[in-house]
Amino acid sequence: MGTIGKRVYEALFLMDTAMAAADWDGTLKVIETVLSRGEAEILSIRKWDERKLAYDIDGKGRGTYILVYFRMDTQKVTVVERAIWLSEKIMRVMILRTDRMTQADMDRPTPIVLAETMPAGVDGVPAGIAPSAPSAPMAPMAPAAPSPN
Amino acid sequence: MAFKKKPMQRKKRFNTGIREQSQCRFCREKIDYVDYKDIPTLSKLLTNRGKIFSRKRSGNCASCQRKVKFAIKRARYMSLLPYSL
Repeated sequence: MGTIGKRVYEALFLMDTAMAAADWDGTLKVIETVLSRGEAEILSIRKWDERKLAYDIDGKGRGTYILVYFRMDTQKVTVVERAIWLSEKIMRVMILRTDRMTQADMDRPTPIVLAETMPAGVDGVPAGIAPSAPSAPMAPMAPAAPSPN
Repeated sequence: MAFKKKPMQRKKRFNTGIREQSQCRFCREKIDYVDYKDIPTLSKLLTNRGKIFSRKRSGNCASCQRKVKFAIKRARYMSLLPYSL
């Protein structure tokens, strides 16, 4: 059975909001250190969102999500996973292969970017999500040209 | 007493002009990968108690329902969606 070599992976890290707000560079350093155990080549790393959790984890109600794309040897995934389990600063992580994802899936704007670009509508809901206002009445159409018959 | 068969009555059918959807919402938009981070889409496929809608209720095909199931379970693990409310 031959080895596959390197693959591109997507990882979503859930970190403590207090730690991320206090020391953003240090938070990224934690992720980079963990990924360096598997000699991963980081393609992109960005903040995905900061939101209230659906349920409390480690007694914390809020979390910061960080989305990372990296290229790594398939054999090293378990090494990285073990390093993540041992880290106390990382609350949760989801590592997935990007085989079935398209480039559009990977380049999709994050919720935090969408919230910044879209102006807030009624009740703080971004304008793109809120139901659109009724469109203006259409201008009357010009009379049709007489047919040659 | 002889049994008298009633003449078959046909129900009057009204054509409402509404066509049933022949494809599920993901097949129609040719979505191949259901993203677990796409919470607005996944929320539409959950009850207000956080349970996954059945295929009959959501209208998904078997393949897409399976993809939705895995996406919701991943989102639940990451605390993006609740397990129950």
